[in-house]
Amino acid sequence: MDSLVASLQSGASSLASYLAAHVLLCLVPAFFVAGALSALMPKESVTRWLGPTAPRWVAYPMAAVGGSLIAVCSCTVLPLFASIQKKGAGLGPAVTFLFFAPAGNILALSYTGVALGADFALARVFLSVVFGIGIGIAMATLFPGGGRAPVPDRPPAPAPASRLGRGVGPLLAALVALLLAGTVKLAPLEAVLFSTSWASPGLAALGTALAHLFPFDAARGEEGVTVHGLALVGTLVAWGVVSWRGLTHVDDRVTKGTIAALSLTVLMLVFAALRIGVDGGAARLTLTGRTLTVALLIALVVTLGRRLDPFDARQWLWETWRFVRQIAPLLLVGVFVVGLVRVWIRPGWVYAVAGENSVLANAAGVGFGIFMYFPTLVEVPVAKLFLGLGMHPGPLLAYLMADPELSLQSVLVISTLLGVRRTAGWVGLVAVFSLGAGLLWGARADGVGTGWLLLGALGWMAAIGALVKALAWLINRRPPLAKATA
Amino acid sequence: MDIKILGPGCPKCQKLEAMTRETLAALGRTAEVTHVTDVDAIMQYPVMFTPALVVDGVVRVQGHLPRREDLEAWLRGG
Repeated sequence: MDSLVASLQSGASSLASYLAAHVLLCLVPAFFVAGALSALMPKESVTRWLGPTAPRWVAYPMAAVGGSLIAVCSCTVLPLFASIQKKGAGLGPAVTFLFFAPAGNILALSYTGVALGADFALARVFLSVVFGIGIGIAMATLFPGGGRAPVPDRPPAPAPASRLGRGVGPLLAALVALLLAGTVKLAPLEAVLFSTSWASPGLAALGTALAHLFPFDAARGEEGVTVHGLALVGTLVAWGVVSWRGLTHVDDRVTKGTIAALSLTVLMLVFAALRIGVDGGAARLTLTGRTLTVALLIALVVTLGRRLDPFDARQWLWETWRFVRQIAPLLLVGVFVVGLVRVWIRPGWVYAVAGENSVLANAAGVGFGIFMYFPTLVEVPVAKLFLGLGMHPGPLLAYLMADPELSLQSVLVISTLLGVRRTAGWVGLVAVFSLGAGLLWGARADGVGTGWLLLGALGWMAAIGALVKALAWLINRRPPLAKATA
Repeated sequence: MDIKILGPGCPKCQKLEAMTRETLAALGRTAEVTHVTDVDAIMQYPVMFTPALVVDGVVRVQGHLPRREDLEAWLRGG
């Protein structure tokens, strides 16, 4: 019974601290960026580089860019994957695109940066590029039958030229700046500009009660719930309710509810960028460089947003809210469950399996990624849990690289598009690449020099390349009978 | 008039179908509206993005929702 209570407490506290600490300044702006990319980006500007005539050295990088910019939602990913493969640059770039989309999009990257640290986010994006292109080329080598589509005699009429709408570029830049200003740990942003405190026994008592209700152990990577956090959770709930009314039908018309939802968004972000603490019997309110920067950037975003074409602006808000509705519920449930489970996991177990940077530990990370299915982005709090429980950064990265790509569910979907043999190739390649990345990242964490790391990376790539060449020879020298049944 | 909505079941695709039906009703026109969800069938059309609207074999819009006035013009047969 006691452990059940502890478990629920841990779930609630992980949810509350998560909402307060991570969602607001990171995910709320990130959702707005994702909405803008989805609604306002002229997608043809990326896909015209992915047609059947595109040279390989253009097609592969552009496939990665496409995965990052235009594929926040899985429902865009599959049709586009199919069309790149069958009517465009072929299997290789299509695989690159498929790989990059879940790991390299703006939501996944900004969230990883906030929860696990900027170095993990950078490693994730860099490795996603390398993996995506590497695996794409390897797949194209292994299965040359899936080559690019024949160039049609009469090329289809080009899509109607669509340019970046008026003011969309500056708006995107301002939104990304807001996202960074809210999350990056930089000295000028942390600098205290103004601070005031007042005696407030009520708030102090609330702070003590919260600390008692949601006990936390910083050493295990847990976060407590503060008075500020509680207020933010309340605001966020109110925001959800108001936005539900104001933003669900915003594509048809802007109502008073829309204005209310947007005003609340602005207030909430500025409030989140304040620092409110309780020490002794006094409450303290602090304005930092971050508060000022966030407020200024929000003013800029609002100004630029009002100058958008009204139709574009409504589409942007509608897409943003659609992403929130689609992703946020699963993410909240995921975070709560992670908190529940945390109580039951002994750090000793994690340490025994993946406490060191061994091949076996990295393989365990990859295997966990395959057999556990987490909805979009939930892999990040899961990774944070393991990091707090003593998992070595190497196996953790191996897990983080493999999980979004290789859950059993996504493997099943991919196999309907690619067939069993190519899917097996894809799974094997992702697993091998992730294993290598984990080992190297772990070695870096253990203090191995950069030169050795580069040498190791090159060696690993060469080994995979040789393996792929050998396999390709084996597969493709088979008699035609085998191909006919494939 | 033959109208096809191409989309594997994403929210925007549902929205496009609803918009199309509403506009048809507002114009007082009847037409065959088919929602194509099979990815292979979608690939038969010259589209890369969904949702897409095909009116009498012509791809009118893909990858985003149309403006109401554009939609009306296409469905009026203009």
